Amino acid sequence: MSLDPAAVKEGDELPVLHLQPDLGQVIRYCALQWAFPAFFYDAEAAKAQGMPGTLVPGPLKVGLLYRAVDEWLGDAGWVCQVRAAHRRPDLTNRPIDIAGRVARVYDENGARRADLELAIINEQGEPSVRGFAVVEFTSPA
Amino acid sequence: MPEASLLTDEVRAIVGLETPMGRVRVTPKAYRRALEVYTGRIPRNHPAPGEPVPGYVLAALDSEADTPAMPSLLPNSLLISNEWQFERPLRMGEEFESVYSVVAINERFGGRFGYSIDFRAEVIFKDADGNPVARSGRTMTQYSAAEARDGGDA
Repeated sequence: MSLDPAAVKEGDELPVLHLQPDLGQVIRYCALQWAFPAFFYDAEAAKAQGMPGTLVPGPLKVGLLYRAVDEWLGDAGWVCQVRAAHRRPDLTNRPIDIAGRVARVYDENGARRADLELAIINEQGEPSVRGFAVVEFTSPA
Repeated sequence: MPEASLLTDEVRAIVGLETPMGRVRVTPKAYRRALEVYTGRIPRNHPAPGEPVPGYVLAALDSEADTPAMPSLLPNSLLISNEWQFERPLRMGEEFESVYSVVAINERFGGRFGYSIDFRAEVIFKDADGNPVARSGRTMTQYSAAEARDGGDA
């Protein structure tokens, strides 16, 4: 079902996106960036640096926030901004949930926009990332 | 904590300096790879030239050149935030001039890291007229784990 921009209001919750980033996804991300810090894919290297296991890269997580917003928005608009404040590491092969809610709906420069509060929640129920996004609706309101 | 600020004039001078990173292009390959990384889907097709692409394709454009290294002022560093900003949707086939700069350096006293220094840097993607279309920013903090509360861990 496509999103109706006219019906979006403050307090609306985005559908929770359930993910479990695995080592394959992390390695593909490293290849995309052509950056290969060993603690992203080598468990022993991660442990040697005091980490409990291989980590999900922070920049990958900002893209996952973007995806959650983009999938909610569909054809009803576009993502103007997304920000991720990293609070604690996420390990590969562990479930995470991406949650979000509409914090504000407003008009700016003739366009209808919404600010979104986002979070990545780990399996302990703790926020590993606090996020924020701005979207602009393109369909007639 | 150091007896004097580590933010010398030499360090502050790097703020605002622009480093050209070369031209980048939104290609079908960049689209396919980014889509697979962020969604796990392998697309059969790609948008036609001029059609919008998801903003996470930016991550595939980021890697066209190596960004300059930050000055190393403290022994440990940690990524604390990432941000993407778009003036409009990216479109298949368009080319950008990418430019790297450090946009802010701030020192902080106290908190879980003790004395720390935040470096905020970004790559700006400009169109043929020099107008910014997108920005990819990140903030790294440098700190001394020996002085941080809980070693700086979350």
